Amino acid sequence: MFASTNSVALVGVEARAVSVEAHVGGGEKGRLSLVGLPDTAVREAKDRVMAAMAVSGYRFPPRAVTVNLAPADLPKSGSAYDLPIALALLAAAGEIPDGACNVVALGELALDGALRPARGGLGAAIVAAEMGIPCLLPPEAAAEASLVSAADVQVVRSLAAAISTALGESTFRAPPPRKIHIPERYDMAEVRGQPLAKRALEVAAAGGHHMFMSGPPGSGKTMLARCLPGVLPDLDERTALEVAQVWSSAGKTRRCLTRPPMRSPHHTATTAAVVGGGSGVPVPGEVSMAHRGVLFLDELGEFRPQLLDALRQPLEESEVTIARKGVAVTFPAAIQLLAATNPCPCGFHGHFRKGCDCSERMIQRYRRRLSGPLMDRFDIRIRVEQVDPDALIGPPEEPSRNVAERVAGAYDLQRARGRRNRDLGRSDLDGLEFAPGAQKMIEGALRHGAMTGRGFDRVRRLARTVADLDGADVVRETHAGQALILRGHHEPSR
Amino acid sequence: MSRPADDLIRLAHVGMHPDRLRKLVAGSGSAGTVLRRIERGRLDLPEEARRAALVPASERRGSLCEAGIDFVVPGDVGFPERLADLPEAPLFLFQRGRSFRGVAVAIVGTRACTGYGRRLAEGYGEVVSKAGWSVVSGLAKGIDGAAHKGSLRGYAGGVAVLGSGIDVWYPRQHRSLGEDLLEAGGTVWSEAPPGARPLGWRFPPRNRIISGIAHAVVVVEAGVKGGALVTARIALEQGRDIFATPGDVGRPASIGCNLLIRDGAFPVFDAEDLLECLRLLLGEPTTASGEDSPGALNPDPGEPIDKFLAKLGDDPVAAIAELGRLVAIGSVEIDGDGFVITRK
Repeated sequence: MFASTNSVALVGVEARAVSVEAHVGGGEKGRLSLVGLPDTAVREAKDRVMAAMAVSGYRFPPRAVTVNLAPADLPKSGSAYDLPIALALLAAAGEIPDGACNVVALGELALDGALRPARGGLGAAIVAAEMGIPCLLPPEAAAEASLVSAADVQVVRSLAAAISTALGESTFRAPPPRKIHIPERYDMAEVRGQPLAKRALEVAAAGGHHMFMSGPPGSGKTMLARCLPGVLPDLDERTALEVAQVWSSAGKTRRCLTRPPMRSPHHTATTAAVVGGGSGVPVPGEVSMAHRGVLFLDELGEFRPQLLDALRQPLEESEVTIARKGVAVTFPAAIQLLAATNPCPCGFHGHFRKGCDCSERMIQRYRRRLSGPLMDRFDIRIRVEQVDPDALIGPPEEPSRNVAERVAGAYDLQRARGRRNRDLGRSDLDGLEFAPGAQKMIEGALRHGAMTGRGFDRVRRLARTVADLDGADVVRETHAGQALILRGHHEPSR
Repeated sequence: MSRPADDLIRLAHVGMHPDRLRKLVAGSGSAGTVLRRIERGRLDLPEEARRAALVPASERRGSLCEAGIDFVVPGDVGFPERLADLPEAPLFLFQRGRSFRGVAVAIVGTRACTGYGRRLAEGYGEVVSKAGWSVVSGLAKGIDGAAHKGSLRGYAGGVAVLGSGIDVWYPRQHRSLGEDLLEAGGTVWSEAPPGARPLGWRFPPRNRIISGIAHAVVVVEAGVKGGALVTARIALEQGRDIFATPGDVGRPASIGCNLLIRDGAFPVFDAEDLLECLRLLLGEPTTASGEDSPGALNPDPGEPIDKFLAKLGDDPVAAIAELGRLVAIGSVEIDGDGFVITRK
């Protein structure tokens, strides 16, 4: 009269095991009560499950049924509990053997008994691997779940198939993730001219440095930005899983699981959309979707100021915490921030040919929106100019492939040291080894008033990355020189 | 019967457009007559302006004295003769700082200048002031401010002519610049009464004073519209010599200068060149201190960073490193707009 099976609930990106229990007993005929902090979508499971069972040839028990989702204090949401509820219920009613319940199951049931996609497939696989039992998932969820190599992920398409798979009568194991290579849509070979911007992008990629570009419209800022993911190395298995977990908790699947993601929210996006939140169970925002990848903010000056302020926590702590009634959910957000902006509202301030129509006050207001604390995060700040038409008809330039190789080399060096150059603090920087010439050069720039103390740290960080690109242990003059140019010259708001 | 000087000081506080006031005074014969007409409400003036005219001269003198403001009229020691000789000479000036003596060179240009223009103006201001001539300009944003700033490195006291009241610093950011100028023995003049706001119509008359006291007018950057070209046109009518620094064809901040050169302004290319031209024109300055000859600051035309990199070699990475070296040793600077400025 009683049976229980397993499913999962997501708290942030973390998957927690949920036990789905069903009891069929005396009392009013056909009554089904659902307990255990379900939301509306879960409550509606009742009707879907009843229809799907009938269509699949099973009888709904002619007695009172109680379904409990435990632990009861964990909020459960969504329609993914249809399948485990159906399994537990059928087993409790004696329609199928109890053995069919020894699985972790997830999936929404259609009225005809077919299974619909559900979010949290990856979490289900993780829980199943821990419990050492098979995991039944609809095909879409199974794709991401296959990242968990320790899990026995079975693809099921209907309630009937789920039952026969759970009983071991049939099996359709999800194939391991294919190493599909999706060619990047943007290649640095297509960016003509812009030697400085390209070098800056390479250094940014190699050290994970946040990068800020300012320049007139049409100078290729966006194009450059789109090239960044293409020169970043593949995610390793652990980080790929981290990223997939975030995406899974947002109910989205990635086309290629092993490439670093890039997200570029529009400047009209709300703070909740970018940082995360939403009503009820918090969902990850763009900043978490870009975890281990790139967050690109085009037209940085147009974003709401409070949104830019809210980015400071993820930039500092590599995660975002969203507090809701009862639970505070933490989403990972280790991002590389890439930002582009026009120098003024019309975009042509300082342009060497066109004139700027903006008044001094407009320009100041525009630049004041970019707060000092946020701007401090950008190790690399460059101005991007419109390209000389002559350069546009030149020969193709170095492809992303070559750049990516150098970047991967620099990555390996940093991994061996245990820390990305972006995260080097002042004490780390003081311990770096500089050749006498390089040391003198940076001190010279300090003396000429060309930079401040903060600029000093940025230059040393960048110099370390440039040296990594060269595979050099000691920072030499050429590395320091490049760093001096890449960190930008004047603060963007003067 | 009131004294003419008292009539003028009361009239000065009305804050009328200088051209209108001059015509009225010329038409009716004396400042006293105009004042009477204002008192009786015969002139179309805002009520507050009429009331301002009623304040007795002694009271005006007292508050000016308290604020450290002088009131000079043509013929006074502080009133430049060169200016007094012009048909459009102001009837009076409010003055702060030292009484002006000597030879002035006006350095003017657009408020919307480029970093390149700013640097050039600073260099001009410095050499002119070091040579012993006074730099006169309008304390505006952009070129004006830069010229004043440069002149503070020299020895001759500078002159700022304001479009606002003499106790109103406009733009506000130039307050410290104005105060530095006064401290360095400079002079500040305005035709507007104390407290007058920087209204647009006050600036063209202000420009005629700048060119009026100058022996030569140097235009650094100017658009097709705007005060700098107005100053140049007035200067031409006043018979002043005009210098202009050419710029890229089609660069908006340089169009005005290029037009001036086509119309006969003398082109100057850098600070040293300007100094040579001024020496030929004005002779050796009488108050020159002689030491520390100018030319230390000598900016070349700035160019976008990418173009400059191309000059440093074919390998972009090596070129970036080389540019960094140049920045580190201070022979090159990169301004906020991404232009490279070389220093010799």
